Amino acid sequence: MSKHNVSRRQFLNYTLTGVGGFMAAGMLMPMVRFAIDPVLSADKGGDYVATKQKVGELTTEPTRVDFSFKQVDGWYESEETNTAWVYKTDDGKIVALSPICKHLGCTVGWNTDKTNPNQFFCPCHYGRYTKDGMNVKGTPPVSPLDVFDTKEKDGILYLGQLKPHGEA
Amino acid sequence: MHRGKGMKFVGDSRISADRKPNIPKDYSEYPGKTEAFWPNFLLKEWMVGAVFLVGYLCLTIAHPSPLERIADPTDTAYIPLPDWYFLFLYQLLKYTYASGPYNAIGALVIPGLAFGALLLAPFLDRGPERSPAKRPFAVGFMLLAMAGVFYLTWESAAHHDWEASKKQGAIVEGADIDKESDGYKLMDSSGCISCHGAELTGGAGAPSLIDTGLSPEEISKIAVKGQGAMPAGMFKGTDEELKTLAEFVSGLSTK
Amino acid sequence: MLTKLYDWVDERLDITPLWRDIADHEVPEHVNPAHHFSAFVYCFGGLTFFITVIQILSGMFLTMYYVPDIKNAWESVYYLQNEVAFGQIVRGMHHWGASLVIVMMFLHTLRVFFQGAYKKPRELNWMVGVLIFFIMLALGLTGYLLPWDMKALFATKVTLTIVESVPLMGPALKTLIAGDPTIVGAQTLTRFFAIHVFFLPAALFALLAAHFLMIRKQGISGPL
Repeated sequence: MSKHNVSRRQFLNYTLTGVGGFMAAGMLMPMVRFAIDPVLSADKGGDYVATKQKVGELTTEPTRVDFSFKQVDGWYESEETNTAWVYKTDDGKIVALSPICKHLGCTVGWNTDKTNPNQFFCPCHYGRYTKDGMNVKGTPPVSPLDVFDTKEKDGILYLGQLKPHGEA
Repeated sequence: MHRGKGMKFVGDSRISADRKPNIPKDYSEYPGKTEAFWPNFLLKEWMVGAVFLVGYLCLTIAHPSPLERIADPTDTAYIPLPDWYFLFLYQLLKYTYASGPYNAIGALVIPGLAFGALLLAPFLDRGPERSPAKRPFAVGFMLLAMAGVFYLTWESAAHHDWEASKKQGAIVEGADIDKESDGYKLMDSSGCISCHGAELTGGAGAPSLIDTGLSPEEISKIAVKGQGAMPAGMFKGTDEELKTLAEFVSGLSTK
Repeated sequence: MLTKLYDWVDERLDITPLWRDIADHEVPEHVNPAHHFSAFVYCFGGLTFFITVIQILSGMFLTMYYVPDIKNAWESVYYLQNEVAFGQIVRGMHHWGASLVIVMMFLHTLRVFFQGAYKKPRELNWMVGVLIFFIMLALGLTGYLLPWDMKALFATKVTLTIVESVPLMGPALKTLIAGDPTIVGAQTLTRFFAIHVFFLPAALFALLAAHFLMIRKQGISGPL
């Protein structure tokens, strides 16, 4: 076979790959963009949700605050309920902690472990957190409890985005 | 390729140690201008495909796929129409001898014969001739069937009120309706929703009741005396109930 | 680099004969539009297959959002068409592709018919082709219900009434398809979804494989 023949075949193969690639891209580009849309859509977030808790009634003792909010999940809208542990610090700042254990996602309770009073306690693997949400060294959790953004309006407590400890 | 005794394998596998060269076959000895499928012909095919794809994508952008309002089984006035490729069957079932007591003929016998003949064409047309000019019966029947299908499709499309069918299916802005309210229950019992729909957004035969902008007095007048296609005397309850109903309808808005 | 990778795999698995079997076959002059423009009629089969591939791909992606449930079906279709990026295009590809595939298949069938290409020895391939035609029509019919809009529901009611008019086993057949003797609702939708997404495509794949195998074995029909 002559050299000319080989280069002609190579040329055909390259154009074939090019045209094939164009077709595949034309077909798949819209579909892939369609599929990865949830990854690319910006996190809307930031909406504060009213709770039934009056700010004036908060003490330095953590209280369980249940609140519900409208959740929009794609085409599905629902009323979801969530919980927070809320208390006032000594200098009057409101702290709202998520009850989700950072170990494996169980729900922590306040003061439920008799041997370690005044701590958040997770019954699943005995994870413990101090009152400010810091994880107690030597127990399973490796990071502190998440914190809600809080806001006060007309004496009512509003909760916002859930953020990692230290960023709220 | 080497076969049989003395064949070498890769390791202990059954893969031959001889490599087959990865080059296309040579078709130059074949009669006529035969060419290789890969890559010569495939390249041409794909170029046609690429042009086709671009046109196709333009179509999807220029014409969004239709979506009518959510299915509402209570809207009895809706006139359905199948996709265009079933229109000929749809039209066929409108004719006297293909509907009513003869429905089985129109729905099964005629299409069954036609598609059965298509499926068994090789056994019905068994002569050795391939040229259409030399197969008058096969070609004749096919042309006849095609003419029939085209005619029926055209008939059905020409006599269809496309404007009305666009309107009857349009998505209408809905309102949050309290279906437990007295007003809604009255509408249900008076038969309003059989035309205006369970969501009161209207249908093929009746307008939407949302955002009418009418006062309760005007609505109670329509409910009793009718308007347009709506006959008089639809509402048969007491004056008290009429007032509740009129206030309910008047208050419906998308807000 | 790529060549080396190819050779590495080829040495172990001898893949060259596998794909060269597919790649190497002759394309005779009379089907090549480059030599006779009228040979473009031979393109319809290939275009049908191309759209079928698009249908399969776009359908796979659509199920990422779609739910076959009477409460959410319409909402999810509305959402994917209006809220999700490129949703209009992906749904459009599936919607218009359904029509295009019928058009192309119709033209392909006519080409084969008028050229008498179904004659001995290609009778079996013709029958498989007609079966593919039926499967495609059934796919169009079942896919129609899935968005659960007015058109979907009422057109499907008509279809089911036609099925019911079949003598003797009509009512049983209708119940089998609709999932309920009287209601066209939740069970109908899931059934149509299953048929549209699993059963018919499975049949389609098998028939397409048979169709292509027979073409390769017998070669394309000769010139008239």
